[in-house]
Amino acid sequence: MAGAATILEDDSLLSRLDRLLFRLESLLVLLGGVAVFGLMILAVISVGGRNFANTPLAGYVDWIEQAMPLIAFIGIAYCQREGGHIRMDIFVSMLSGRALWLFEFLSTFLMLVVMLLLIWGSWAHFERSFDFTAPLWSRDSSVDIRLPLWPAKLLVPISFTVMSLRLVLQLWGFGRAFVEGASHPVAVPLVEDAATIAAREAEHVSLEVSGQSAGRS
Amino acid sequence: MDSIDIGLIVTGFLLVMVVMGVRVALAAAIAGLTGLVWIFWAKRGYDPSHFMWALTVGVKTAGQVPHSKISSQALSLIPTFILIGYLAYYAGLTKALYEAAKRWIGWVPGGLAVSTVFATAGFAAVSGASVATSAVFARVAIPEMLKLGYDKRFAAGVVAAAGTLASLIPPSAILVIYAIIVEQDVGALLLAGFLPGAFSAVIYGGLIVLLAVSFKHFGPPVRGYSWWQRFQSLPGAFPIFFVIAIIILFIYNPLGGDAWGTPTEGGALGAFVVFLMALYRGMRWPQLKDALMETAKLSVMIFTIIWGVLIYVRFLGFADLPGAFSDWLTSLDQSPMLTLVLILMAYAVLGMFVDAIGMLLLTLPVVYPAVMALNGGPDVSAADSAFGVSGVGCAIWFGIVVVKMAELCLITPPIGLNCFVVASVRPEISVQDVFRGAVPFFIADALTIAGLIAFPMIVLYLPGLMLGL
Repeated sequence: MAGAATILEDDSLLSRLDRLLFRLESLLVLLGGVAVFGLMILAVISVGGRNFANTPLAGYVDWIEQAMPLIAFIGIAYCQREGGHIRMDIFVSMLSGRALWLFEFLSTFLMLVVMLLLIWGSWAHFERSFDFTAPLWSRDSSVDIRLPLWPAKLLVPISFTVMSLRLVLQLWGFGRAFVEGASHPVAVPLVEDAATIAAREAEHVSLEVSGQSAGRS
Repeated sequence: MDSIDIGLIVTGFLLVMVVMGVRVALAAAIAGLTGLVWIFWAKRGYDPSHFMWALTVGVKTAGQVPHSKISSQALSLIPTFILIGYLAYYAGLTKALYEAAKRWIGWVPGGLAVSTVFATAGFAAVSGASVATSAVFARVAIPEMLKLGYDKRFAAGVVAAAGTLASLIPPSAILVIYAIIVEQDVGALLLAGFLPGAFSAVIYGGLIVLLAVSFKHFGPPVRGYSWWQRFQSLPGAFPIFFVIAIIILFIYNPLGGDAWGTPTEGGALGAFVVFLMALYRGMRWPQLKDALMETAKLSVMIFTIIWGVLIYVRFLGFADLPGAFSDWLTSLDQSPMLTLVLILMAYAVLGMFVDAIGMLLLTLPVVYPAVMALNGGPDVSAADSAFGVSGVGCAIWFGIVVVKMAELCLITPPIGLNCFVVASVRPEISVQDVFRGAVPFFIADALTIAGLIAFPMIVLYLPGLMLGL
């Protein structure tokens, strides 16, 4: 499942940029969470309207399809910052020092290249449905209530751009760690073993169970 | 070089990247994009002046996958199910459920352990995340079992193993993912998981009773609850039953007539009830915000793998690798059942190193068509098939078996995460102890999987009613 790696901080430029971007990423991922909540409310209105008021919600499916990109893409950089995208770390966890940073640098570089290409590809996908001269600037629309599709399509290159910024910062972080031979570099997710991940997961749950009204620090 | 060679080389490149530690989702996207560009360029005879053309077509083909594949109603079930799980903690469901299970079934031999299994199975059903479920119950159930003189290894093993039941009982995010990848009815798969999930829980319970009867002082029963006390324990656990019932009723109406709605609506209504319960239990904005951010993060992680793998799948279609793999498997001079068992064994090994969702998504695009072909193709009837299930039946049945298989790996070394979680919550119990305690359940699971393979009806009975199979 999605983990949350430890990310160290200091007062270097890299770390300050990391935290700055993290604020944006946190805001975006919260937006995604609110969209999930919105989907839930929408379904309650839809079912309630159909069964009790005899007025089904027009365009229920259209709205779901509009909300999905918000949920699916907008938090991608946040997840990357937190080390949440799953991977197999059985090999890299055996490495340490420069060898580790070299491999992390290489894999981050590959990811950055594919993200940049996908910004291009998803922008092209958006452009095909966007037209300043068309009504609602839209060449295509959803089936039921004719919502324009371009805003949802535009979310993809936007999210991927934030993700690319995140990858550039991580590339910088791993690169610096490689050059300096650092043991605990800042602004990058560090590899952890199963026991550490499990301990944090358990702590997270215990806070949620015991801190029901107290809030979390 | 023909397209199948390109397919094999790119797939090899994908495996290298995964082992190197590239995030699985993006490794799949890189492989898919590289493969697409390569195949298009190969079609123009590797003419250098056509490379830009191939790159443009490849990038544009890949670039439309994320939006077009993700904007679907069926996929919106995943964030909803995840939200239910995060809200469930704040709704105080764990303790309520454990208390209810103890009062109702604590009287059997090994009663506390059996109660733990059923309470965990129930909570796992709404939480959907095996790991978190094990963490919660390690805190709630293990101290009580130890007080009654249970062996600590066994108590820990019970909790670690029972957490794995989450993946089959609705709502199950992993079954939704499977349904999307193999293009089967999401409702049918969710429904199909119910009986095997319950069946697994019963096997676990039976195993504990058997152990408690065979070994004296193994696990004394808990008696002395009046019927009044039993009924008193039910309201707190009500949302769990509500969520499971509503999801099933929104997929299939056992009383005849239409289902009450779509699975999407059922999941959202379930989430809403758990949300109200959590509000009632004192959840406020800081906790809700936390739950929403965690939900969004886990959703993004899952969706990223989905579109990443779908870019790779788009390329596989051009390379016709799945077709070639199917042809090879069906041409083998051995019984299809043996081939199937070997495939499942390969999953057991793979699951020891890779997360279940990543493993299934990466392998299913190639393995699933092959399994369908082994059975006799997508349109075969049960009578003519190799495994005794129709084409659609095989799709559903294989999904349940393979998900059960993937969950089995949560309690096996070296990275059985459930065991690590239990050990970290209870410092007096080492990871080795938990792995040892989970061994009986590992054997029970192996028997369950054998049972599901031998009697596909356990899986197919409920979806059969719905689809009229």
